[in-house]
Parts: sequence; structure tokens; C-alpha cells
Amino acid sequence: MSGAIQVRGLSRTFHTTVRRPGFAGALRSLVAPERVAKHAVSDITFDVDSGELLALLGPNGAGKSTTIKMLTGILTPSSGEARVAGVVPYQDRERNARNIGAVFGQRTQLWWDLPVRESFTILRDIYEVPKAEHSARLAEFDDLLALSSFWDTRVRHLSLGQRVRCDLAAALLHDPPVVFLDEPTIGMDVVVKEQVREFLRYQVEQRGRTVLLTTHDMTEVERLAERVVLVNHGRLVLDGTLDEIRRKFGSTWQVRATLTDPHTEVVALPGIAVVRREGARVVFGPDGSAAPTVHQALKSVIERYEVTDIALDEADLEDVMRAAYIQAEAV
Amino acid sequence: MATVPAWRAARVTPLGELHAPPRMTAVLLRLTVQVVLVASLWHGLYSRTGSTAGLDEGQAVTYAVLAVLASRIRQLDQYTGRDSVIQHMHYGTIVYWYLRPLPPQRYYALRAFGEQLYGFAWALAGYTVCLAAGVVDPPESAAVAGVFAVSLLLGQLVLYYVMLILDQLCFFTIRNNSAMLILIFAQNLLSGVYAPLWFFPDWFIRLSGFLPFQATLSVPLSIYIGRIGLADAAAQLAVQAGWVVVLALFTRWVWRQAARRVISQGG
Repeated sequence: MSGAIQVRGLSRTFHTTVRRPGFAGALRSLVAPERVAKHAVSDITFDVDSGELLALLGPNGAGKSTTIKMLTGILTPSSGEARVAGVVPYQDRERNARNIGAVFGQRTQLWWDLPVRESFTILRDIYEVPKAEHSARLAEFDDLLALSSFWDTRVRHLSLGQRVRCDLAAALLHDPPVVFLDEPTIGMDVVVKEQVREFLRYQVEQRGRTVLLTTHDMTEVERLAERVVLVNHGRLVLDGTLDEIRRKFGSTWQVRATLTDPHTEVVALPGIAVVRREGARVVFGPDGSAAPTVHQALKSVIERYEVTDIALDEADLEDVMRAAYIQAEAV
Repeated sequence: MATVPAWRAARVTPLGELHAPPRMTAVLLRLTVQVVLVASLWHGLYSRTGSTAGLDEGQAVTYAVLAVLASRIRQLDQYTGRDSVIQHMHYGTIVYWYLRPLPPQRYYALRAFGEQLYGFAWALAGYTVCLAAGVVDPPESAAVAGVFAVSLLLGQLVLYYVMLILDQLCFFTIRNNSAMLILIFAQNLLSGVYAPLWFFPDWFIRLSGFLPFQATLSVPLSIYIGRIGLADAAAQLAVQAGWVVVLALFTRWVWRQAARRVISQGG
């Protein structure tokens, strides 16, 4: 196996008690509980390379968080195998803990009653980070996340945006090569979201960290990830680049061109159909499953015809993912 | 480069308290009121009699006041600081205990150690004031003081493990409020905080002998006031040490079970 994160046939089954409706049902569940198996994650396989940011996507309840919990060592898989930075996380939690950082949505790991800086100091002690290294890293995070204006404030008095920025810093204070982020920007305003995205981009591009991100924010995916893994009902539905996903689920682009000569004969190009024509104005669209990406289509149209004006209509990633989720649901 | 040892995580509770002056004021007020009321009560109970259940007034008041002070050593407040097991289970943040290189059981122990040391500072300050004001009697001899100190230490270890079991319960039941209420009552009653155990009927004293509670406070305080003589103290210390070993083994086993119960929240 290769890569910073290696996942092979990972599965996790939970056994839960069925709660029957009504008073009699509740009584029956109490006396004779019926246990059912719920397959939260089934036979998932993927890799994440060092210095890569991978978005793990899927609708609510798809198995994203369970996957992250197995990769962080919190949960032991029912079957399959995972390695994070060369360590089997659920077999060697302590060693794995030194290699990873994690943020779970709005759940903070900071000490509620203490000023943020004290929380950072306690984490420094727990991870046994040298003082000079800790100070240098804190200064770097302050530059990127503007923490110093509120790091002497007690955590209970921070806004959500401030707290999540502090949690991101807390997760990276011990310089882990691998970072797990489970919906880190949920509930944050656009300005803070952008700041967090910049921070993450810096951590991946400049620091070479490997990031596994789950989010429902497609703008975030578009800005940060080149590759996504889509899961649904615990199963891996797709593993590919954003372009591949767009091609597969979001072929709804249109290229609208105004030809220099309105009498030019317009014919279909490979994978590109003529949707309609009104004089000099021609609308091209994808043709079949071999349709090119919108950018390739644009290039083909410009190369083939002389145009005075050209515009693109592209389904945004939100539409693409909606189509992907619906299709995955139908499978 | 010099690393900082992980045991410094023991500072969490004292730091949190120092950043919350109103809580410290509340503790000061509560302790003062409790000490004054308890001392008045026992002085009142002894106003018409010289000795009851083999105890004179000085011994009874000393026992009762020391019990109030010692009960401060491990505070039973589960809701301050959001760093108790019950709150981590409630907010889903218990996962972070399992994401750090410091194992949860060691972090819990360090944090409890800091909490008990902080509480001990309060108890010691209260004791010094009470001793100077003549509310409590000093120990009979240096030997008694020494044996009392050892017994108090063992008692605090027993108390630590009893509290730990309550917290571990949260891994299985999410909440432990009812168990905590029962524990607080049982602990105060069976450890002699409400009244020294020898005021209770024989069957009750025999029953409490099978439970760890009297090892927490009743034994050290009885040594302090001379109710348990130095000649009998060794056996009592052995019982306390026995409880420490039994509870340590049991809680170690429960930690292993709890690690499998870290509930996964969200899909």
C-alpha cells in the first residue's frame, strides 16, 4: 500500500436495538429487544497521497464521519484495514495521535473555562512539544488566522468563527502530517470561511500536510479539493477528480457562441452537439457519455469557428453533487 | 529543545478556578457557613452532656469540622469547565480524549490529581484558620499527625476511584446524575460527613464496613481525633490500601470496556 492514508475494504457495522412505535411497542422493545445490524461503512477502499487534500463527500448518514473515526483510531473497523502515516490507527492510538490532527465540526477540544492560550499550552504539554517550537508555530498560526486579538479570551466567550479558528490551530500545534476535518466550517460566515480555506490551502501547499475533509459546502470543495471520494449508504460510489465528477454527473454545460459570419455551416463536433441556432448565435451542448469538459468544448468551438462573442453556462458543483447523490441513491 | 512534561495537564482545574473568581468566592462562603453551622450544631448537642458515644465535645466538633473541610478536597460539581466525562459525552467531545497521545485514563488521573491538590489547598487553609481560632483541636502527637496524613492520602485515593467509577458509568449510560445523587448521599452518610459513624446502630456500622466509603474520611478523621488508636491504625490503613488495589484493578478493567463504547455520533 502507498500514500499517507491507505484504506482497504474498510467496513463498520453497528448493532442497534429497534425501537417499536407506541406504548406497547416500547414495552415489547424493553422486554424482548430486537437487535439489527446497521452497516455504516461497507468495503471502502481509497488512498490519499502525501500533501493531497481529499474531499470525502456524501449525504447525511452516508458514513463519512464513521470513516474518519476509524481513521483517527476512535473506532475499530469490523473488517478491512487502514493505515495513516504508516500506523494502523485503531491498533496504536497513541502513536497515531502524534501523526494526526482533527477537528470535528462545532465540537471544540479547547478547555471551556480557560483562555485560548492556556488551552494551547495544555495541548503543548500533552503532545510534549518543545517550548520554542510551540511559540514559533503559534506565531505562524496567528499570522494566518489572526488569533492574537482573542486568544486571551476564555473559550466560553468566543464566537463560533473565533472558536473554530482556534480549534484548527489546536489541531495543528503538534505539527501532524495528516489532518482530518469533519465539516470544519459548518455555521460560519463567508469571511471566516474564506480565511479558513486560505489556512487549509497554505497547510497543504506550503506545509505539505495531507488533509481529509468532509463538508457539505461545495464552494469549499471547489476551492480546495482536486479529488473527491463520494460515499452513500456506507459504500464508495465514486473516486475521482472534480472534472471527472462533472463529466459523469454534471454534463449540463452550454457554450453560447456568436459567429462572425452568420452563414457559416455549423456541424456537431466530437462529443459536442448543436443544441439550437438562431442566425449567428449558436448554442452547443454535450453529446452522449463521451462529452468533453466544458473547457475542452470551449477550446474546440473556438478552434473550429470564428466567433465574435462566446459565453459559458455551467452547472455549478452543487447541481453536480445533487445529481450524483440522486444517482447514487438510485443504485 | 526542551519539551514540557505531560503531567502539567494537572493544572487544568486550578487554572479554571483561578479564572473564575465568583466560583472561588462561592467556595469560600460555602465553607465558612458550613464550618460555622456544623461547629454550632455540635457545640449545641454537647451543651448538656460531657461525652456521647465515647466522644467528648472537642473530639466531636473537631471531627465534624474536619469532615466539612475534607469534603472540599474533591468537589463533586460535574458541570464546571465542561471537562467532565458526563459533559464530554453530552457534547460529543469525548472523542478528543482518544485522539491525544496521553491516554484518557492518564489524563483523567492527572486532572483529578490537580483537582484534589487544589481542593487540599482550600482544606489546609480552612484547617489553619480553624486551628488558630480554636475551632478544632490539634492532633495529639506528631505520630498521630503522620498516620493521619497517610490515612488521608489513602482515603483520597479511594475517593478518586469511587468518583472514577461514577464517571466511567457515563460511557455506558451517557448520564450519571441519579447515580451521582445516590453517591453524594451515601458517601456523606457512610464516610461520616453528616455524623460520625459510631452514632449509628451496630448493623449500620457493620454494613458500611463492606463498602469503601468509610475508608475515604471516617478512618483518617477517627485517627486524628484519637477514636482509632495508633495500635489499631495499621489494620485500618491495610483495609484502605486494600480498597485502593481492588478499585484500581476494577477501574482499569472498566477503562478497557469504555474504550469500546466511545459512541460514534453522526454518520
